Amino acid sequence: MIGTKSPQDWMNDWQALQQQYWNAWSDATRGVVQPPKVTTPWQEGLEQWSKMFGTSSKQTETADRLISSAKNYVGLMQSLLGAAAGKVPTGFEVPNWTDALRNGFNMPGMDALFKNNPFTKIFADMRGPHAMGFDKLPDSFAPFLNQMKQEGLSWLHAPAFGFAREHQEHYQKMAAAFVDFQDALGRYNALMLKSSQRSFEIFESKLGEHDEPGRQIDSMRALYDLWVDAAEDAYAEIALSEEFRKVYGDVVNSQMRVRQAIQQEVERMSTDFGMPTRSELNSVHKRLHELRREVRNGCSPESSREIEELRAEVRELKRAMAEREKAPAPKPAPTVKHARPPRAASRAANPVERIAATSSQKKRPSRKAAAKRATAERSHTRSASVHGHAPLSFADAIKAMRRTVAKKTAKRKPAAAVASAASKSSPILKRKRRHRTRSR
Amino acid sequence: MDPIRIDPQRAIQEATKFNEKLAAGLKTLRTLDDVDFGVTDREEIYREDKLVLYRFKGANKPTSKTPLLIVYALVNRPYMVDLQDDRSLVKHLLALGEDVYIIDWGYPDQSDRYLTLDDYINGYIKRCVEKVASRHKVDKINLLGICQGGAFSLCFASICPEKVEHLITMVTPVDFHTKDNMLSHWTRGMDVDLFVDTLGNVPADLMNWCYLTLKPVRLFQQKYIGMVDILDNKTELENFLRMEKWIFDSPDQAGEAFRQFIKDFYQGNKLMEGGLMIGDKEVDLKNITMPVLNIFAEQDHLVPPSASRPLQNVIGTDDYTELAFKGGHIGIYVSGRAQREVPSAIHDWLRK
Repeated sequence: MIGTKSPQDWMNDWQALQQQYWNAWSDATRGVVQPPKVTTPWQEGLEQWSKMFGTSSKQTETADRLISSAKNYVGLMQSLLGAAAGKVPTGFEVPNWTDALRNGFNMPGMDALFKNNPFTKIFADMRGPHAMGFDKLPDSFAPFLNQMKQEGLSWLHAPAFGFAREHQEHYQKMAAAFVDFQDALGRYNALMLKSSQRSFEIFESKLGEHDEPGRQIDSMRALYDLWVDAAEDAYAEIALSEEFRKVYGDVVNSQMRVRQAIQQEVERMSTDFGMPTRSELNSVHKRLHELRREVRNGCSPESSREIEELRAEVRELKRAMAEREKAPAPKPAPTVKHARPPRAASRAANPVERIAATSSQKKRPSRKAAAKRATAERSHTRSASVHGHAPLSFADAIKAMRRTVAKKTAKRKPAAAVASAASKSSPILKRKRRHRTRSR
Repeated sequence: MDPIRIDPQRAIQEATKFNEKLAAGLKTLRTLDDVDFGVTDREEIYREDKLVLYRFKGANKPTSKTPLLIVYALVNRPYMVDLQDDRSLVKHLLALGEDVYIIDWGYPDQSDRYLTLDDYINGYIKRCVEKVASRHKVDKINLLGICQGGAFSLCFASICPEKVEHLITMVTPVDFHTKDNMLSHWTRGMDVDLFVDTLGNVPADLMNWCYLTLKPVRLFQQKYIGMVDILDNKTELENFLRMEKWIFDSPDQAGEAFRQFIKDFYQGNKLMEGGLMIGDKEVDLKNITMPVLNIFAEQDHLVPPSASRPLQNVIGTDDYTELAFKGGHIGIYVSGRAQREVPSAIHDWLRK
């Protein structure tokens, strides 16, 4: 602060300034807020005025937050200025400002939990329908917790027996969960207090960075912003610690156990009243989702397996075909010219059938010549089926490839042979073959 | 020298001025209409459950042959990318010739509790990608994943690399176990099974409360003190309220998807460590061989840069580009700098 006045002069000035503040506030609110005694906390004016404002606003939520923050801010300003008024003549001392700041967060009538503990107060102010400071859980569940307190805490560790033992055990569990939660909450609040204390230390340290000309703080707002920086730094230190992780986890987990116990109690009562419960609805939703997945995937788990088997079989067949394509082609066999009866000619388009047709119609050749010709015919069949030179039915192609695969894989890989054999008995393939036969 | 040099008379003036602004401004608040958002015209392309796939309509015909699909996070509403006329990533991308689609996840309710990450990634995202690709008669499209949607996009691009031409991730966490990741730090002490079994879907208010407590004084007090400064400016006030609307207009989180996201990403860090399964599909980021642009915000308190940067070390492509934006997790969409830098960076990278 500036000046060299006596303490009494400063106090008089401070009184006058506060009067000035209240007069201005009364003017700004057009008399809604009447100037009270000059020593009245500044946030009282906001309190009075917000009652008039808050009931008819469209933006009530935003306005509430705004007013809540403003109350903290003006309270802080008053505290800082008031402290300064009495201290300046003796020279500036950093601890005075820090004390003033600390007092600025201690509103009149405040819960003892929040004293010198702005963090806990801020968390307490952060609340909504499904989100609130951890300390507010007991308020929400008060009816259940009161019942539990009356019936539970006295026999928390007593053994349960008799007709109502299940109920007694449930209340004991609920009570134990609540005790755990309160314990965790206590440890959490202790860390918030630690964070608040640390914020004042960091504030002092940050103030020290502003003692050079040109870097001095010359407005209440700048002072407040400096404290916010300090507070966030302090909070981050604590919040990133291993201790906080453990305590935070304990608070969340113990709160969930309390909630779960209360939900069970609500379910029990709902059942008594013949009402549907969350568990029942969950079961329905779960089944519905499982069914939707099956429908979306187009099949049941069993048919999924069958499709996968079929896919494996097709992959194996493709692999075998690729191998055959890579294999060196044998020399072409000499063409045998002969007359075919009309029926055989019509079949000639199908190489598979042609093997049978030619062999049955011709005179029996010598064993050596027959073998040579059979090789040539097989080669031609492969070539035609692979390159699509001749029409080949799907079933025949599968049969031909399966024969080849079975032979090759039996020679090379015993495991593949087993897979091939298994694929022959694929129910889907069988079904397809049956279907094919019927359609013919 | 004293670090504080406050003139008492000026301090009182400051206090009374603050009160005057507050009094006048709160009256202004009462006269404001509800704020609107989402300025760009769009058409519905596909709908499934609560999901809707939209295509944005620009003033001119897109010049890009490959469409761009934005995959937003589940935890907030996607209109952040098209918040208002002078703060719209979408509008700028359209003006540059991109053909932009977006997935709107909707608001899950208790009937969606059993939606899993498999449903979201191998189901919803895959079908949206296929829908967009088939409309444009292309095999691959460009994917832009934002925050959690970026993590989902990484999973999808790893599982179906043949469907992604270019991958862009914005403020996307990859390494969840860096020391400055406060959110991750907290979740690691949580029994997420107990959490989801108790809550079912995770309430949006609870999620928001958790985000606010990352910076409690700044986000719950200082921000509203600062609001007093703009109470006499209707435009600024509307911008502020629009942002407030977006911040707190959050969907509940489908329980099972939340469970897996916390377990595998936050607690297990499986994007980095490996072993991540989405349904019956394994996520191996080495499968990401398409070009990747990774955009992150240097002052991001939700997804610190240290969580995004490691992406370059775990993907399978050498065609990797980084853009470090000077701003925060939200400023990267709505700040003036973002309007100037981000859309053009995306467009230039796609066309290079």
